[in-house]
Amino acid sequence: MSRPSFRSRAGRKRACNLVLVAAALGLWGRAVATQSPRFYPDDPIAREPESRDAGRAARYEIESLYEMTHNLFVTAGYTPSGTRARNLNTIDEVPDSSWFTNRIGSRRITTGEIARGPVAGDPPDPSQWVLLGKKTAGVHPGFRARDARGETWFIQLDPSTNPEGATAAVTIATKFFWALGYNQVESFLTTFDPKRASIDPKATVRRPSGAETPFTWDDLHAILERTARNQDGTYRIVAGRAISGQVIGNFRFAGTRPDDPNDLVPHEHRRELRALRVFGAWTNLTDLKEGNTLDTIVTENGRRVLKHYLQDVGSTFGMCNDVHEWDLSYEYFYQANTTRRRFFSLGFALSPWQTIRYAKYASIGKFEGDRFDPRAWRPQTPTTAYMEMRDDDAFWAARRIATLSDELIRAAVHTGEFSDPAAEQYLGDVLIKRRDTIARTYLTAINPIVDPRLDAIGGLTFGNAAFDAGVATGAPTYRAAWMRFDNATGETTPLAETQGTTTAVDAPRNLPTATGTFIAVDLSADIASYPTWRRPIRTWFRQSGEGWTLVGLQRLPETMLPEPASRRAAR
Amino acid sequence: MKSLGSWKLLMLVALASGPTTVLAQEPGPATPEATSRQAVIEQAQTEKDSLLQPYILSKGERFANRAEDIILNGLTWHPFFENAYQGGGFPFGLGYRRYVSPHNQIDVRGSYTLSGYKRAEAEFVAPHLFNRRGVLSLLGGWREATEVGFYGIGPDSLKSDRTSYAFQQPYAQANLTLRPTRNHWLMQGGTEWTEWQENPGHGSFPSVDTMFTAETLPGLNADVTYIHSQAGMGFDWRPSAGYARRGGYYGVTVHDYTDTSSDFGFNQIDYEAIQHFPILRESWAITLRGRVQTAFHKGDQQIPFFMLPSLGGGSTLRGFSSWRFRDRNSLLMQAEWRVMANRFFDTAFFYDTGKVTARTSDLDFTGLQHDYGVGFRFHSVDATILRVDVARSHEGTRLVFAASRVF
Repeated sequence: MSRPSFRSRAGRKRACNLVLVAAALGLWGRAVATQSPRFYPDDPIAREPESRDAGRAARYEIESLYEMTHNLFVTAGYTPSGTRARNLNTIDEVPDSSWFTNRIGSRRITTGEIARGPVAGDPPDPSQWVLLGKKTAGVHPGFRARDARGETWFIQLDPSTNPEGATAAVTIATKFFWALGYNQVESFLTTFDPKRASIDPKATVRRPSGAETPFTWDDLHAILERTARNQDGTYRIVAGRAISGQVIGNFRFAGTRPDDPNDLVPHEHRRELRALRVFGAWTNLTDLKEGNTLDTIVTENGRRVLKHYLQDVGSTFGMCNDVHEWDLSYEYFYQANTTRRRFFSLGFALSPWQTIRYAKYASIGKFEGDRFDPRAWRPQTPTTAYMEMRDDDAFWAARRIATLSDELIRAAVHTGEFSDPAAEQYLGDVLIKRRDTIARTYLTAINPIVDPRLDAIGGLTFGNAAFDAGVATGAPTYRAAWMRFDNATGETTPLAETQGTTTAVDAPRNLPTATGTFIAVDLSADIASYPTWRRPIRTWFRQSGEGWTLVGLQRLPETMLPEPASRRAAR
Repeated sequence: MKSLGSWKLLMLVALASGPTTVLAQEPGPATPEATSRQAVIEQAQTEKDSLLQPYILSKGERFANRAEDIILNGLTWHPFFENAYQGGGFPFGLGYRRYVSPHNQIDVRGSYTLSGYKRAEAEFVAPHLFNRRGVLSLLGGWREATEVGFYGIGPDSLKSDRTSYAFQQPYAQANLTLRPTRNHWLMQGGTEWTEWQENPGHGSFPSVDTMFTAETLPGLNADVTYIHSQAGMGFDWRPSAGYARRGGYYGVTVHDYTDTSSDFGFNQIDYEAIQHFPILRESWAITLRGRVQTAFHKGDQQIPFFMLPSLGGGSTLRGFSSWRFRDRNSLLMQAEWRVMANRFFDTAFFYDTGKVTARTSDLDFTGLQHDYGVGFRFHSVDATILRVDVARSHEGTRLVFAASRVF
């Protein structure tokens, strides 16, 4: 997390300004909420508007040491606000934006689509590479190069310890994160033949002395020596297309960009960033940090706006551990409680990763599905958005993962082009197991009623996400509490209560019929094995004249009491 | 940036109460005229557009960025914690490092201890020779030790017999380390010119010349000029020599000390084996080290007492004083049970044993000296940054501070 300092005069002034912006957004809106309707005619919106020109946004890059120390020693002790995500539309969904595009879970994705992922253009022509310099970001070795057609690419190779591993991880993970809605770099598996490479005369590299001197063949060899080589002397690489637009550095997982007028919601309160805790757990994206994000200025509809990328998702599938034995997905880079436990027990208090038997595929890292616990998953360092995730955010994320069928998962994994079919099979199996564990964990944790529909003749139907995903069974009694809703004042007037044993419940006969009227319905599921399902979700419908339209849904209250620090530390 | 107007402050006070709500569901105060969600958000964006400013780094971020720059590029001025000679106490030192080419650097440094040990030297290091296969070090300097312990020669010397001696020593050396395959095989060779000027010791212990004579103790009060040549070969498959929990090192080094006056010439062979046995995914490591040193005089020349292989001190028999045992041969065996507490900190329980002998044939497992203790180590991925060991032997308890690995 990175926050502005408010100690300086400029910082205080900036803080006040941020507060005003927040106030303008209604973040402190109760006092005046009665002046505005709860629902506008265009609710729920499908896309976040970006009305202002963001061309003045300046370059900002977060440095690794600051990000790591701040996250480990400040963010790790952060007490979550417990507030609901703030970039939601009125039906509890994340609208499309420069951050996120609704794909899986919102529409049908084919195996062909997921195998293509973010790819829109042609692959590189590897017949001739011109080296432009060393790659400076990411966990895997690499460099920048121009292909035979003159296009610039960011090249990553496999470490010698994990042939095919790093390149497959990047290739596959970009497909998944694209499907899950994030902006991703177009990545292609291809080859690099040093015999067909040359060095751009202008290519330089920063030396230990700080001097920028010409990139040499020895520099290339220094990179290649640490990487896995094919039998024919070529190297398997993944080439990432340079992102279009003007790259201006990283985005933060907290606060807003002070130089982007369209960036209104603090990033820790963006659901898609909170949900990376679930998506990261599924894929084991341990290097979840601001340094692996990118903001670019692009022109859309004649206006310059910022587009936000998850740039490097190659730390997935257990490919991000260092030379010493460790499994980053169970502990932060430093964690006081596990340190104390190991220190005082002389190491007898074992962490789960110390006794896991990982499969012995060099092309896959420490990645398994049998002992995976998504609530216990840890990235290298926590982000503020990670800390702020609530159960409704996790539910939203889990629904998207649960929508990924076995076929879609295997189609994406197949793009990793593993030479060992058993490795491909194993990775697919693990992802399927982890998907099911996530669904079982988060879809059952809170009331899983989804997709309510009220037809013109008064039949209310809905779904049960936990049952639909096959992670819960039983026969709950569904209850509906019906209310008339005043959109101007927010007041409700009870009408009736109905119930049923299926996902269809009758509406009372006294529902209002006038066009433009609203009703609210609290929906709960009564089943002994899932007591949390008794907490109702609230839905709102508007009478359009032709029938009822869902305009609002809220799964959990606006604010939940934060989990006590002692409990968080224990987890 | 525009200044904050009073109306804004009033608005702030008026609004800064009540629970938080969701953007899309609570349109807020500034938009009573807005008739759509789109308009609400656009108005807020317009408002923010008048308040834009660039990111302002906090002091903490600026400090961390500077620290990262230093870590990546090295300090020009840097602390220097190497003592002039083992046993001199905690050193205070400073160095100045400067690159003279993209990879090669010169480091000028010095240290001083409260017991008067001094060291001043300059080193040129070329780490990328022969396409990154070789590291060349050219080192020249001068050092002085004022009260180096000497307890007599042989395994049966008594702690109560401690004397001390001093020396001053100018030195110049060139060392080349080669990894021919850039992998595990290691070769190293070097030559050194050095002059030992042995003097009476200072401090609270009697000087060595009050207990011995030049006849009873070879090298006493001698000025010896050596041309020291060495060559070694090893197989090193540790992830890093500075910090490892798996892998091992096996090596042998041959030394030739040629006295320019042909009085004190000798040869020495060092054998060393280190093996790390990781347990439970390296959360524990059983680490073993064995070292044998044997010295042979040349013809009728003698080995001066201050050049004899020795045991005792922070990296050998840690429960004994530095230079506690000296003789022509030494055997050292060490075992550590290392416990990983986190990625940066280990504890260790250790046991050291060893002895010195006059004859190589006496290098057996009888008559060994022992100590044991506990250690705490802060480390990075590839280097030990701080080591604190508490060791106990029948001669007492000793505390070791070091900025390097024990083995």
